[in-house]
This record gives sequence, structure tokens and C-alpha cells, in this order.
Amino acid sequence: MLNDELSILALYGLYVAITLVLQATGAMQQLGMGYLLSSRDEGRTASGMAARLERALWNSVSAMALFAPAVLILEARGAFSDATLMAAQVFLIARVIYVPTYAFGVIGVRSLAWAAGFFATIILYLLAL
Amino acid sequence: MSAELTVLALAGLLQAVQYVLMAVPANLELGPGYTAGPRDDAPPRVLSARTGRLVRALDNHFEALILFTLAVVVVTLSNQATALTAALAWLYLAARVLYIPAYAFGWRPWRSVIWLVGFGSSILIIIAALRGALGGA
Repeated sequence: MLNDELSILALYGLYVAITLVLQATGAMQQLGMGYLLSSRDEGRTASGMAARLERALWNSVSAMALFAPAVLILEARGAFSDATLMAAQVFLIARVIYVPTYAFGVIGVRSLAWAAGFFATIILYLLAL
Repeated sequence: MSAELTVLALAGLLQAVQYVLMAVPANLELGPGYTAGPRDDAPPRVLSARTGRLVRALDNHFEALILFTLAVVVVTLSNQATALTAALAWLYLAARVLYIPAYAFGWRPWRSVIWLVGFGSSILIIIAALRGALGGA
């Protein structure tokens, strides 16, 4: 499933969903199910790993918002190549590494993974031009 | 236009509607002097509970819409769209429309149940698209 860009995009969507489940689990433990089901009118905030997962989730969603249109443009233009496949693979691997390194506070590796994912996305846009 | 793409377009319009639902009361409460400014300082007063819920409902749909867009893109471009994925797309839209009053009026726990329906619909569409990749590869 790692041999075409669309499947990679689909897999990344599932990975973001898993990240969301992890974030929600952490929030449930810290803030309580009752609070999560409520209208959250008093803004409680998580801390520690739960908060890191929250930030990792938000970052993953914004990466998805940038990555998905690049794949869409490449598909619409019929511009998939070995280079775009490799860039998409690098993106997925980098983003998979990103979440646990954020959750466990692995400084340096997290930022490197973020940068690899970001630049892979930019390369996709450049190849789409 | 396929059902999935029609729903995606409608979901985009829903986002615009949610913006208005949030922005009108927020401007009334904070005043255009603050909202049209650079917002360097914290708001002069706290938003009402109802407006705060509409802000969170809007933010939540940003996330949901990005994931749903991904789902529609992969299922459409891989030609895996079926009657099932069309039904799931409509289910997503219905859930996201209901999510707004559910948040605004504090329907508990139904807001979370409705959220889960929308989230689950997106995930199932993605899985439907990947199933083809698994079988085809």
C-alpha cells in the first residue's frame, strides 16, 4: 500500500485518526469523561503527555491540510513519478515518527521529523508545478 | 458531480454558515473596535457560553473537514466510490449539521455521539478506498 501516493494519503488520514484517539484517551484521563461530554464552557487544559498529544494532533492536522492538496494536484495533472512517490513516502514516515517523539518529548528528532515532512510536502508542490 | 463531491461542496458551505453563526454574536459581544483591530490584547470581555460553544464548534469542523476532504479525495481519485461511500458522505454531512445545535444547546452526551458519527463516516470512506488498494496491489 506504500507504492502509490493516494494510498499513502489514505494511510496518513488513518494515522491522524489514531493520533486523535490517543489524544482523546489522554484528555479523558486528565480532564474526565464528564468534562469531555459537557459543553466545556470552562476551558480546562491538559498538561504533560496529554497536552503534547494535543499539540501533535493539531500539527498533524495542519500537515494534512497542506499534504492533501499537493497529492490532489499531482493526480489531476497526471504528474506522479518515482520522485513524487519517494517524497510521499518520506512524508508518511516522517509524520509517523513525529507523533511518538512529541508524546515522549524526544527533542531534536521531533523537529527533524517535522522538517522532513514539511520539505517533502514542499517538494511535491514543486514537482506539481 | 458524484454524491461525495456534492457533499464536500455542501460541507464547505456549512463551514461558511458556521463562520457567520460564530462571528455575528462574537462581534456583538466584543465590539467591532476589538474584532477589527489587531487583537494584540486579550478580549475586553469573555464571550458568552453560547458564543464560546459556537467558536469551538467551528474549530472542530475545521479538523473534521480536513479529514473528510482527504477521504473524499482518495475515494474519488482511486475510483472506489460506491453507494456505500455516498451514503457515508451524506451521513457525515447530517452529523456535522446536527453537531452545531448539539454544541450550542449542550446536548450531552449526544454532541459527542454525533461527532463520532461524522468521524466514523470519514474513517470508513478512507478504509473503503484502501480496500481497493489492498486487493488491487
